[in-house]
Amino acid sequence: MVNRYLRLMSAIVVLGSALTAQAQEATEMYIPLGQSPGVSGKTSLLGTLESVDAAKRTVTVAGPSGARTVGLTDRTSIWLDRSLQKQPNRSGTMADLQRGHRVEIKLRKGEPTPVAEWIKVQVAEGRP
Amino acid sequence: MSMWPGGIRRNRSASSFAVSCSVAGALSALSACAPPPAPPGDLVSRGKEIFFNQTFDGNGRTCGTCHPARNNFTIDPAFIARLPPTDPLFVAEFIPDLKKNFENPNLMRQFGLILENLDGFDDLEKKFVMRGVPHVLAQRISVASNQGPRTGWSGDGAPGDGSLRSFATGAVIQHFTKTLNRVPGVDFRLPTEAELDALEAFMLSLGRQQDLALPLPLKGTVAKRGQEIFLDNGLGKCNLCHVNAGATANFGGGNIGNANFNTGVENLPDQPADLAGERNPPDDGFGRPGDGTFNTPPLVEAADTGPFFHNSAIETIEGAVAFYNGDAFNKSPSGLALAKTDPRGIGIRLDATQVVAVAAFLRVLNALENIRISIELLESSAAKGFADRAVAMELIEQAVSETRDSIRVLDGAGLHPDAVAHLQRAAKLARKAARSFFRRGTLTRQSLDEQRLARARLIAAP
Repeated sequence: MVNRYLRLMSAIVVLGSALTAQAQEATEMYIPLGQSPGVSGKTSLLGTLESVDAAKRTVTVAGPSGARTVGLTDRTSIWLDRSLQKQPNRSGTMADLQRGHRVEIKLRKGEPTPVAEWIKVQVAEGRP
Repeated sequence: MSMWPGGIRRNRSASSFAVSCSVAGALSALSACAPPPAPPGDLVSRGKEIFFNQTFDGNGRTCGTCHPARNNFTIDPAFIARLPPTDPLFVAEFIPDLKKNFENPNLMRQFGLILENLDGFDDLEKKFVMRGVPHVLAQRISVASNQGPRTGWSGDGAPGDGSLRSFATGAVIQHFTKTLNRVPGVDFRLPTEAELDALEAFMLSLGRQQDLALPLPLKGTVAKRGQEIFLDNGLGKCNLCHVNAGATANFGGGNIGNANFNTGVENLPDQPADLAGERNPPDDGFGRPGDGTFNTPPLVEAADTGPFFHNSAIETIEGAVAFYNGDAFNKSPSGLALAKTDPRGIGIRLDATQVVAVAAFLRVLNALENIRISIELLESSAAKGFADRAVAMELIEQAVSETRDSIRVLDGAGLHPDAVAHLQRAAKLARKAARSFFRRGTLTRQSLDEQRLARARLIAAP
């Protein structure tokens, strides 16, 4: 009996260990900068984009606690926060990450180096 | 069953049998699955007020629109059919901006299905899934996992940190919006931090606050056999993923909390929503893109909160148990993993009498929970003074509703007619108590006696 459980558990390890709890991204897109529940003001980086290295796929954000460089992957979502303009938020691209923009970055858990799970870019009032 | 607003508790993968947990985690993280501490009562009251009345400046819906207390915090076709056409559930039928790609009124009315854009809002015409509305009972003991909280049908229902506290924010964006633009401050407002705290407190207060400790000393012959099958890890195998008929899993190394599985529900051949001829894209479950897994709901509350599974594919509790006999399950990653551990190479195979027995067991568990809640409600009502008559009456009405559920759950399978008779008397007495000006206390106590007699027919003295 114990052996059977061990086999079942082994199957779980092989087949399911990569599955970690996850927040929903679909609705996250519509949450303005600094308002993500349980994330903003707690674990996210909120600041100004200081530099973008497209080749290395990294961004450096200057925030209250200094500058921090974060990597991007193919899984990193980029969203344009247009809530100040009373416009619906949109998906963005690396090209939308421009120096001087205010951004919020949620870091992916369990990564050895800082990697962005998502980046929200605030589109200032008056900009398209 | 339900927790009542009167302040009384009532309480599918990427090819894997994907319990989202490692053995190491399973062995070491009992504490990670520990339920959160009880919140203060005033926060619960505030959360209740928000849950049932706050529209967040949106289309008129509240949390209670889809999670009504009077229907066990869920909706089903029978409940929906009784709603007036102006009910905010039907906003897609009368708000022009929401007529397209917000809900499917036909699938909502026929099967209680709600439209969700879980893989994003960039192609509303094609990217959506249709899901049933899960009840929100027993959340305190159903959400935690070694990897973090699991909310919604696929365990990833909340934005932000993915917690139950954050769930309302996503729900407002998905379901409360006035237009499909979904602009905060225009189409709705987002819940404040204080509102999220209160909503979480209220949701955590609903239903059971602790798991059962099976086996129970049941009296019914069939239900007792059902319990044996349920707990037999070589036959029913139910208790592996629904420990103590709850929402947590244990494969022998300790309880790992709530977990996700691909049980093949999406592969059922004749899903009602598909038969309806409406567009009903496959639901890929957890993640984006999904891995095909869905998390386990608690079973104690199942019998009176159908239809069952994320897609409301099955209407009856017997059908839901029988699902695990079929090809959809036994050819699924979960079924195949179970078969690997079985000396006969069988996933789950139960004969018809065994299916009925497990379902009878679940019906009795549900009825016992209804009775527990009814007793709490009636006792609370009996303790109210004359000045609190209105509250006392509300509590009695809620107890009557719970009692109606317990009668329906037992009567629906011809179980314990003796207990049903007591419950019918209990309901009658409670209704009289609600109407009585001078004999409320006496009649309430008589109703309580009948509830206890009914319970004594189902189970030996606890």
